[in-house]
Amino acid sequence: MTIRRKTRDLARRLLEYEAMAGESPESMESASTRVYEKLRQSLGEFVGAAGFHSLASRALALARPDAPSLSAARVTADGSFEDLGEIEPQIDDDKDQAGEYPSGGGGAILITRLLDLLLIFLGESLTLSLLRNAWPSAAFDDRNSVHGRKA
Amino acid sequence: MSTQDKVAIHKLPTGVPGLDEIVGGGLPEYSFNIIAGEPGSGKTTLAHQFVFANATPERPALYFTVLGESAIKMLRYQQQYTFFDPAMLPDAIRFINLSQVVLEKDLGAVLEEITKEVEKSNPAVVVVDSFRTMVRKPQSDMDLQSFIQRLALFLASWQATTFLIGEYAEDELRDNPIFTVADGLFWLRQTAERNSIVRKLQIIKLRGQDSVPGLHTFRITDAGVQAFSRTFGLTGHAKNPPSHRRLSFGIAELDKMLDGGVREGDSVLIAGSSGTGKSVLATQFIAEGIRQGEPGIVAVFEERPQAYAERATSLGLDLETPQKDGKLEILYLRPLDLSVDETMHSILDAVQKIGAKRLVIDSLAGFEMALSPGFRADFRESLYRMIFALTGIGVTILSTVEVDESFTEFPFSTYSISFLTDDIVRLRYVSIDGQLRKIMVVIKMRGGNHAKDIREYEITSKGVVILGKRLTEYQGLISGVPVHSDRSGAKEEPPQDTGIEHRS
Repeated sequence: MTIRRKTRDLARRLLEYEAMAGESPESMESASTRVYEKLRQSLGEFVGAAGFHSLASRALALARPDAPSLSAARVTADGSFEDLGEIEPQIDDDKDQAGEYPSGGGGAILITRLLDLLLIFLGESLTLSLLRNAWPSAAFDDRNSVHGRKA
Repeated sequence: MSTQDKVAIHKLPTGVPGLDEIVGGGLPEYSFNIIAGEPGSGKTTLAHQFVFANATPERPALYFTVLGESAIKMLRYQQQYTFFDPAMLPDAIRFINLSQVVLEKDLGAVLEEITKEVEKSNPAVVVVDSFRTMVRKPQSDMDLQSFIQRLALFLASWQATTFLIGEYAEDELRDNPIFTVADGLFWLRQTAERNSIVRKLQIIKLRGQDSVPGLHTFRITDAGVQAFSRTFGLTGHAKNPPSHRRLSFGIAELDKMLDGGVREGDSVLIAGSSGTGKSVLATQFIAEGIRQGEPGIVAVFEERPQAYAERATSLGLDLETPQKDGKLEILYLRPLDLSVDETMHSILDAVQKIGAKRLVIDSLAGFEMALSPGFRADFRESLYRMIFALTGIGVTILSTVEVDESFTEFPFSTYSISFLTDDIVRLRYVSIDGQLRKIMVVIKMRGGNHAKDIREYEITSKGVVILGKRLTEYQGLISGVPVHSDRSGAKEEPPQDTGIEHRS
């Protein structure tokens, strides 16, 4: 399944945002882990743990063919990942010649797939509204970029 | 207690077109309500409309989803409605999933979770969807009634207007403690009537409000739920004062037969068999109104507006220009599963939009066919409500009705609706001198002094033209097969009956 450009851009923005936020020495988690955890917390509130688990499992299944590093990954009952931070940030270069994913290895691919599912099910407008809840100060679109947004 | 001592109950907009009227002006603030009905009856959509109409970032809405429909799917479908504004999420509207708490814990934990979220967010609106799935679980620490009681008390104290949504069947209404605690109980029904689905809404109780009793039809469109009050939304409208004005047909001889024209605010019935010119008369009536500066509505069921206007053109009547000028609206209503209330809603919208003074319903048979089969049984009663409501606001209604041509009887209407009308004009064929000619007679004119003449008429390129004097040379005209009387050779012409000389 091809990744749409808007999904890739969205994933890249979130990963960049968290990468910048995680530059402090005490931050040990990878950007993709922090993005995933924020998504889990934010989406879990309204879809429930079981609902998020289903979405994450589907995203994982879609991500695996492009990220062999995720082959051993498992989603737990509460939607969190076993050892996501330890997943080797490696990507199957042969399958990403089109540059479908933002850099960041298997975690980034998983995030991209998860966001793509949200866009498929909820549409761009509603997905962005939900993401703003988790990243109140991040810019997701032109409107926010131009006008800014209160944190 | 004087009026000024009484607490003022603020009414919140329901966000559902037509429902504010039904609930008596809006939903009481801080009320604890239940929306009940079978799956697919529109409960969630109704609650969403209320939420989107009332939530603000300062006083948000908390929408608790429990077991049942997946939250993702619910939002996927609900966002298709035009009222759904994604920008309101999550600042003004927060969806919170409680399924884990329900599955793993008891009602006490659910109450605790709701309490925690409410205290954190200070919401104006709280919805629990679906409440029923939550209480089906065997209870342990707290019985259901206690849970409901405490939830209602807590949410009212926190100044939240609440909706609990539940799947209930009709027979569960009695002896249910949940319904006793609720301030408002909204019951949504949908039933299959032959090939049509009929949706009805009932406000079984609503404390502190003068809601409209009975079953109200509603429809779910891309705009969400739209309700149609049994009173047609006219309860707040003052009746127009009685008018002595007479409205012309634009046919001088017919106006004379009607003692100067139709009294404003009357309901007129034009009855006749096929081809007798009922629609022609109706068109002339509406066109004359427009000529005199009275905007009009034509509700057609048997032909499309364009065809209706083109037929008027063939009679020398221009219905195109007044449509462009906003003086005339031709409504084509033929979805085959309408309720009278929906039809009325369309008509009333048009009446209010252009300030219509005249309304033509062409024809009642077509109107009945456009209704869902379930509503046809109540056609007379519905028609009565509709005519009463419209004439009450000063609209003059002309309806056409097809009657079977009989050469032994002279029925006014196959619908037995003549009691609904103030005035009846009967058109019919008559066999005279080897020709099938047409005659008309004013059968009834409430409060008027109509002519008793039977007049022959023709339909020409100028519309209905009444010929000569009254037909005095024949007996038994209304039978359709008159007998030539001996007076045919009389030299003296009989006086024309204008109604003045024939007071009853």
